[in-house]
Amino acid sequence: MRQRLSLIFALAVKDWSLFLADKRAAILGFVVPIVLASTFGLIFARPADKPGGVKLPLVVVVEGDGAFTRAVAEDLVASPRVEAEIVSRDEVASRLADRRPGVAVVFTADFEKLATWKFGADGDKPKVQVLHNPLCGSEAQWAEGLVSEAVMRKVAKERLGPVVGESAMAMPFDVQTTEATDHAGFNSYSHSFNGMTLQYLLFWGMESGLLLLRDRQRSVWSRMRAAPVPLWCVLLGKALSTAGIAFCMVLTTFAFGHFVFGVQISGSVIGFLLLAVAASVLAAATGLLVAAIGGTEARARSVCILVILGVSMLGGLWLPSFVLPGWARDVSLSLPTTWAMRGLDGVTWQGRDLFGSLPSVSVVAGFTAVFLAVAVAKLVSSEARRRRGLA
Amino acid sequence: MSSAQALSLAGVRVRYGKTLAVDGLSFELNRGEIAALLGPNGSGKSTTLAVAAGILDPEAGSVVACGIERKTNPDAYARSVGLVPQDPALYEELSAEGNLLFFGRLYGLHGYDLRCRVAIAIDRVRLNDRARDRVSTYSGGMKQRVNLAIALLHDPPLLLLDEPTASLDPKSRDLFFADLHRLREGGHAILLTTHHLDEAETGCDRIVVLDRGRVAASGRPHELIRHQGNGRAVLYGHLREPLPHFFVRGLRKRLGKSVEVEVTGRRLRLAADTQELLGKALAMVLADGIVLDTFRTPPGRLETLLRHPTPQPEEATAE
Repeated sequence: MRQRLSLIFALAVKDWSLFLADKRAAILGFVVPIVLASTFGLIFARPADKPGGVKLPLVVVVEGDGAFTRAVAEDLVASPRVEAEIVSRDEVASRLADRRPGVAVVFTADFEKLATWKFGADGDKPKVQVLHNPLCGSEAQWAEGLVSEAVMRKVAKERLGPVVGESAMAMPFDVQTTEATDHAGFNSYSHSFNGMTLQYLLFWGMESGLLLLRDRQRSVWSRMRAAPVPLWCVLLGKALSTAGIAFCMVLTTFAFGHFVFGVQISGSVIGFLLLAVAASVLAAATGLLVAAIGGTEARARSVCILVILGVSMLGGLWLPSFVLPGWARDVSLSLPTTWAMRGLDGVTWQGRDLFGSLPSVSVVAGFTAVFLAVAVAKLVSSEARRRRGLA
Repeated sequence: MSSAQALSLAGVRVRYGKTLAVDGLSFELNRGEIAALLGPNGSGKSTTLAVAAGILDPEAGSVVACGIERKTNPDAYARSVGLVPQDPALYEELSAEGNLLFFGRLYGLHGYDLRCRVAIAIDRVRLNDRARDRVSTYSGGMKQRVNLAIALLHDPPLLLLDEPTASLDPKSRDLFFADLHRLREGGHAILLTTHHLDEAETGCDRIVVLDRGRVAASGRPHELIRHQGNGRAVLYGHLREPLPHFFVRGLRKRLGKSVEVEVTGRRLRLAADTQELLGKALAMVLADGIVLDTFRTPPGRLETLLRHPTPQPEEATAE
């Protein structure tokens, strides 16, 4: 057994030497996940992190020239919850098409009728149009709410102000908005560093699997197979080297995230390390599975890209899985990426302790064991067929 | 199997799907002997070598190296065999030393013993000053020497080489064969495949001619030549520059059907029924401005044997 372990280690050391032989490629291997995670973090930084909260960008069009309409429009533009400007109707189409911004509020010419509107009056109601880019449906609803608030404030002020007094027009209740969790470790970069690191690990695993397929076409494979080395040792050596490099990538990426963006491990450090190891071995097992099922490099590459992007998206590696539809959230429970992501989110910003991180570690380890078993069995059987001249 | 025997194949049969690649092949190889497997493409040379290397499992038959049967003791069998694949089986990103250390570990070597063997192997293939350079910076001849050094690292009594000189120039080829002859003097048994009849004829002690997976003839080169009687006149040359395909086609057309022209890389082979025809063909080649660095006309007639192999069962099991 000791001899086999030494063989596996020798195979892994060879792969590490090959990885380090091309220093620029090796450096890029560590830089790319950092760049991915940082960029994703910058793009999807939670707006709530910004001082003053988020503002809805919109443009306002005033078609009539009535004083009431203009006053409502100016109130809307002055609202601290919007980032608005008044534009002409002609500009709206091109601005919406380019999402500069995605929503436009148009006070039509008949809106001025509201200045003389009486409670309980029948007839055609004055119109406010909310136009939006097809991709900005939710922003349009948000704008609708803000417009309603601005209009009703103005109407109430004009109609009821003289009766009850200005001071009585204040909101009769307070709205308190707080985060549902009180984890001091929260940082909007945490999610992107967790997700992008996991995704890159899968790509690294894929690359390693493709390298194995390439090696099988080369003379070195003949020499390796002629040596007194069981195939399972060769495969475990490959898994060890892939996982080792993947683990270093995780540590480097998170170290960068910690020192540059303040990403913290607010939960168990041991839990984090266990998850990092589990995710690294998962990447290695995925690579072997790719080699086992893909058969040829070209076939394996195409299938693998599809699978990695799919499991990344469904596993919540790009955006939190709560934005997915219900069925997708159900499906995602059958993916190792979902559990790895939950585990990493847990130990980085949710403050989960070691015991709390163990379920995620176990599930990821379980998936890894299954992937490894299937990959080794399939590759050993395919090699046996090759030896018999059947493949 | 006698203690002098390094390899014994008996009744070996190999199929690739429905295709029978090797059909009941039997032959033996002794220690201190260099044997060449010759035969046209598809005759089963590489398959036979792969079986002997333990890379391919035969459907039937026994494979024994130095008294160890492959089927029953694959690990010990692997340790008694050194394989030199056709293309240098090396990691180009590593140095010669790095490659030797890695492959040595696969054979269970480690520590001081491994380092000593690596140093000896590097010295043996005359690469002391380049041992730590990346293999990707080596010439073809140097790579082939490292390829050989790796196969010898665990000191196997049996060495298997798949077309080892295919990509070497004449000088490197001569040096390579000098290495093989030194190994033979040291008691190694060497089995190689080759397409080059001249090197089989002049560099090997025994030739096994294969045809459709069977031994068509086997014996010492001069014995086989004597059996063949008068054969074709052949000339082997080494071109200074590779010839474009269209040029070779044109040359064939001009020389007519009575002269065969084959160009593989920088190797030229001319074959004709008579020496006179061959001389005329050579004159035409030179008149076309083709520069030959070297050329030779081997004394034997193996050419005919290879072109028209006739199974000679009584020789197939000789030795």
